Amino acid sequence: MGRSAHWPDIWLVVLGSIILLAWWLLVRNSGDLMMSAFCSSDTLWALPLSVRLDEALMLVSAAQLASDSALMVCAMMPPLIIAPLRHVRDRSFARQRARATILFAIGYGVVWMIAAVVLQLIALAARWAAPTPLLCFGLAVVTAILWQVSPTKQWCLNRCHRRPYLAAFGAAADRDAFDFGLTNGAACAGSCWALMLLTLLMGQGQILGMIAVTLFVIAERLESPARLKWRWRGPSRALRIAVAQARMRLTAALAAEHVVTPVDDSVFGRTPCRIIT
Amino acid sequence: MAYTRKNVWELGGDWADPILWYARGVKAIKARPLNEPTGWRFYAAIHGIDQDLWRQLGYLSSGDPMPSSGDTETYWNQCQHGSWYFLPWHRGYLIAFEAVVRDAVVKLGGPSDWALPYWNYFKPNQDALPPAFASANWPDGDGDNPLYVPQRYGPNNDGNVYVPVSAISLNALADPDFSGLASGGSPGFGGVNTGFNHSGQVHGGIETQPHDWVHGLVGGGDPQSNLPGLMSDPDTAGLDPIFWLHHANIDRLWEVWRNNPTSHVDPTDANWVNGPLVVGGGTFVLPMPGGVSWTYAPGQMSDLSQLNYTYDDVSPPAATPEVVARLERLGVPLETANALARSTAMAGPKTVELLGANNESLRLIGAEAGTSVALDAAVQRKVSTNLETAGAAGRPAPDRIFLNLENVRGLNDATAFSVYINLPEGEDPTQHPELLAGSIALFGVRKATLADGEHAGDGLTFVFEITHIIDAMHLAGTLNVSQLRVRLVPIKPVPEAAQISIGRISIFRQSS
Repeated sequence: MGRSAHWPDIWLVVLGSIILLAWWLLVRNSGDLMMSAFCSSDTLWALPLSVRLDEALMLVSAAQLASDSALMVCAMMPPLIIAPLRHVRDRSFARQRARATILFAIGYGVVWMIAAVVLQLIALAARWAAPTPLLCFGLAVVTAILWQVSPTKQWCLNRCHRRPYLAAFGAAADRDAFDFGLTNGAACAGSCWALMLLTLLMGQGQILGMIAVTLFVIAERLESPARLKWRWRGPSRALRIAVAQARMRLTAALAAEHVVTPVDDSVFGRTPCRIIT
Repeated sequence: MAYTRKNVWELGGDWADPILWYARGVKAIKARPLNEPTGWRFYAAIHGIDQDLWRQLGYLSSGDPMPSSGDTETYWNQCQHGSWYFLPWHRGYLIAFEAVVRDAVVKLGGPSDWALPYWNYFKPNQDALPPAFASANWPDGDGDNPLYVPQRYGPNNDGNVYVPVSAISLNALADPDFSGLASGGSPGFGGVNTGFNHSGQVHGGIETQPHDWVHGLVGGGDPQSNLPGLMSDPDTAGLDPIFWLHHANIDRLWEVWRNNPTSHVDPTDANWVNGPLVVGGGTFVLPMPGGVSWTYAPGQMSDLSQLNYTYDDVSPPAATPEVVARLERLGVPLETANALARSTAMAGPKTVELLGANNESLRLIGAEAGTSVALDAAVQRKVSTNLETAGAAGRPAPDRIFLNLENVRGLNDATAFSVYINLPEGEDPTQHPELLAGSIALFGVRKATLADGEHAGDGLTFVFEITHIIDAMHLAGTLNVSQLRVRLVPIKPVPEAAQISIGRISIFRQSS
């Protein structure tokens, strides 16, 4: 696919606009988010369990569940679909790229909408059942950490990296783009659900939590697929990239400013060596 | 002192001094334990190691002292494949290995200017395995020749080791660009810019041919145990002494490409120059004699004069650049063709778009497989128009056309096959070299097929330039077809157990 050296592709501009709009709406309406309102209520926790349930059910409306879910998905998930969308577009006929992009996004979005609604209901139930908000949040933290180190999380992450072959013509092409969206969305939801649940139980800190989780999952996706095992997995590659790129640019800027002669360390025999320990 | 790497077939004898000293050096290095960083197996593991496979092949046992976890994390499994780092990483790997062998040679009383020979299988009568590697004996008749390994089975898995030259190609040398695209167009001479996402699914031009081909066909596989030959698998390839002569030839071809013509230049992108470290990958670091390690970056690997060695022959394989020859075939006057070729070499971003694809995945079992690639009429018209107006004032350079074998998966790295376009039914493929799209060996496919490996089970993607076939159809007036027939012809029948499949076969056009 051709890409201008200076201008981003239109589909990336559209994706970026969706992200910005969703975050703007989230920030503007943060007090109205269902879970945020429910979890921030100081008086709610003083009520008896049965009354708390009634209050919770009063807060639940299908429309708000759906709109909150849509906002969350549109704000947090688009950066994660840039790489698979690029695959879809590269492997489709030029005139069908927009169509394939939309079909992939629908498949991916359907899975995440269902997942987001379910996660909100789980968060509501957890809030209802837990004796204190702190205990509820603590359990969510433990769950997120356990999931983060589990081989099953790696299984999901690995499948987020899959780039299947796609039919090029007719209904099969549409079906493959949609199916890829579904499977990529399922792997993505499987990878991210515990962190998403955590943000839903943060009360007034929900927006900040969502921003942190978004950055974390974007960074985490830069890691290569790996073997399944129990281990900590985090955004170490992203940190390495940030440090290395900053250092590289700083060095280039300093070199340009001082017009220094490049260090002649390329001559074999004079390259940096260190003692093997 | 500048070291000169020479053609192994032109050293003056099967056991000429440089090869005899290589054998003595290898013997000394092989005697070192596994945990010695300048030992033979440690160096092979730097390229890649699969401990289960090593055990099955007899190269690892419970009594071997394992290196520290720090050493294995720092040094092992570094090889760069399916990436624009392929050439510079292997150049450094050769330099360091050569230094280790030279150190051993000098300690044994050998020449201090010893340099690694290369195996140029392209030259007439030099396609056979050099004799010093083929015999289990030293030249005086004693056994235990360290250059010989029994797990080298050859193209027919019968122990007769040679490189089938009918299917080997140097087409990559004609690619004007070092770095290529992962989106279906040219993979470039040196490979694809893998950016922050180092999946390495697409092999670069010189990596596909001749690199992969020679690996797969020299190594072959054991027909009894179905285990691969050492050269066939990236995780065992460095254990075979011929590996280093093969890679010296690949390294030499990089220099040939850079010199012919001089408009061929290495990337200047900071992410290439500084290496994978700046895109979150690892550092290129290798153990050297004297207990030190050497850290290097791709940008330091471009200029041989800075690296203190040279090759005895970096002459171009053909006089006329392929781009000019192609334009002349299309009817462009020589002067215009030369100007257009120069502007093509300096052209900016490329546009790549899908031209056609087959409609279902393909299993490769037995002696051959085939499919049809349906072409999109609208894109096909673009190609036809582009070719008809090639060379006209103000028109861009003619399109280049690429055949993609996407998501190639399987369990046998030694599988090798040729791909033909529109080969008439019942015809002998060897009689139609003009219809040959390319030949590949599936070096690395086993690892790429693992669902929880670095490729997430997607397999590999191979790209062949088929511009010459499309040009011929255009000139013959037969390009206006709805589909092209693609025939896959393995060098030997593929067993079902190899589970070779090709997800999709597609065709892309690339325009400047």
